[in-house]
Amino acid sequence: MITLWHYLAVAAALFGIGLVGFLTRRNLITLFLCAEMMLQGVAINFVAFARYHGNLEGQVFVLFILAVAACEAGVALALFLMLYRRDKSLDVSRWQALREVGIPPTLDTERLPTPPPETADPHLIPAGRRPAPTAEEAVRV
Amino acid sequence: MMLFAAIPNPQAAGQIVLAILLAAAGFFLMLPKPRGRSVAGGTAALLAATAVVAAWLHQSFGEPMPDLIGTILFWLFSAGAVGFGTVLVVQRNPARGAIAFAFVILSTCGLFLLLAAPFLMAATIIIYAGAIIVTFLFVLMLSQATGPSNENDRTREPLLGSLAGFAFVGLVLFTLQQTQASVDPVPRTDSAGHPKMSAPFPAPVLTPAERKSLADAVERLRPLEDDDFYSSPLIGMTGLERTDRVIGVQRLIEDVVGVSKEESMIHDGSIRGRLGGYRSDPQAKAVLERAAAVRDLSVTTFRKVENAIASPSSRKDIVGAKEAVRKLQEEVRLLHGVGDLPARNVGNIGLLLYADHLLAVELAGTLLLVATIGAVAIAHRKGVSP
Repeated sequence: MITLWHYLAVAAALFGIGLVGFLTRRNLITLFLCAEMMLQGVAINFVAFARYHGNLEGQVFVLFILAVAACEAGVALALFLMLYRRDKSLDVSRWQALREVGIPPTLDTERLPTPPPETADPHLIPAGRRPAPTAEEAVRV
Repeated sequence: MMLFAAIPNPQAAGQIVLAILLAAAGFFLMLPKPRGRSVAGGTAALLAATAVVAAWLHQSFGEPMPDLIGTILFWLFSAGAVGFGTVLVVQRNPARGAIAFAFVILSTCGLFLLLAAPFLMAATIIIYAGAIIVTFLFVLMLSQATGPSNENDRTREPLLGSLAGFAFVGLVLFTLQQTQASVDPVPRTDSAGHPKMSAPFPAPVLTPAERKSLADAVERLRPLEDDDFYSSPLIGMTGLERTDRVIGVQRLIEDVVGVSKEESMIHDGSIRGRLGGYRSDPQAKAVLERAAAVRDLSVTTFRKVENAIASPSSRKDIVGAKEAVRKLQEEVRLLHGVGDLPARNVGNIGLLLYADHLLAVELAGTLLLVATIGAVAIAHRKGVSP
């Protein structure tokens, strides 16, 4: 039987996965989506408790979470746009100058893998004989 | 290891720890790294973690499934949410990550529907569908995917990050396991008599037996609303039989809710006897209040009914008794339905939102306005005239 605890466990798993993504990824947009996923985990908690206690307060709270998430999306995407204009990159580590005083900067020591060299387009050798133009074709041209 | 010493069921604790370590290892293997990642190894570790968690859940919560379709849907949606969430985190390409996030939202909406929240399901799909499409456009506009890049192919501290996140999940699961026994007003045991973890929906404030006898009482109150019961000679009941029948219903209700203080008998009723110790729990409190209302109402009602039976010619008594019986029936029905959240609750959300939380609604609206202005101000290109 599915109980409250099952829903709470799923919500915790969603929140934790989002947390891992938020801590480790470096693409701003992926970070943003991971934060939204954490919010979804919290929303499941609220709705499950609303169902458990048989009242609607939890669902109302989730509505406010939705409103705040919408605000957050608007402001975050505007910020991403501005940061991208400055540096032409979505990498969060470009702004590590904002870190706390006394923390050493993180340096990327490993080299990125080199992409496989692009192969040139294949060149087809003309084969066979060019057919003789017919009278009809000459008229059409 | 004080934490492990305090755990009543060390085997389950070991299972959680194993699952957490496997999941963290799987994420570590799958997160994008310049030296390459191991998708096969990571997937294997994650599947192993899922199997261990499933075994733990089955062992501690598993019961014969009375609601097969609901159970299947729950596992489907929760596996979808967690699986696509994993894809979002470990996927190198942010555009594919956005698609995976869309599936996470759809799965979450399925869970909302299972939890009797249809309005939230619709609102989440509408809002997030718009947000995801906009995000997707941003991805296409800002990250031209040409070869490996710092933001997509590097990961900050993959091992420590995975461990931190899953340590959090493990602690939450531990807490769930530790706290469940103490908040369950209706103790549950499996066939062998061991306490079972379960908090089924709705909250177990009424036992099945109490629910059944309340429903029974509603059924048996129904004939008391009829004129025939009091006045018609056709039924062929003597006054004594009628009184017996009324007393039967009264017993049925009083067994559950108890006897009013005005009577000299001492009888608490099964609800008060069981929930008396849970006064701080808001739901137990609500049930106790409702039971008290039914108790007080039942005294006056049955007194009126007995009067009406004693004097079948008095029209006024009969009308008053019928009125009282109708009220009592409603109250008993309310007590019977405590904790049941009907799926058709959209109108009630609106009522609650605009009656109790009007200030919060206004504040949310203001916040949206401020966010819009802020977004425009932030994204505004200075020095460029249109």
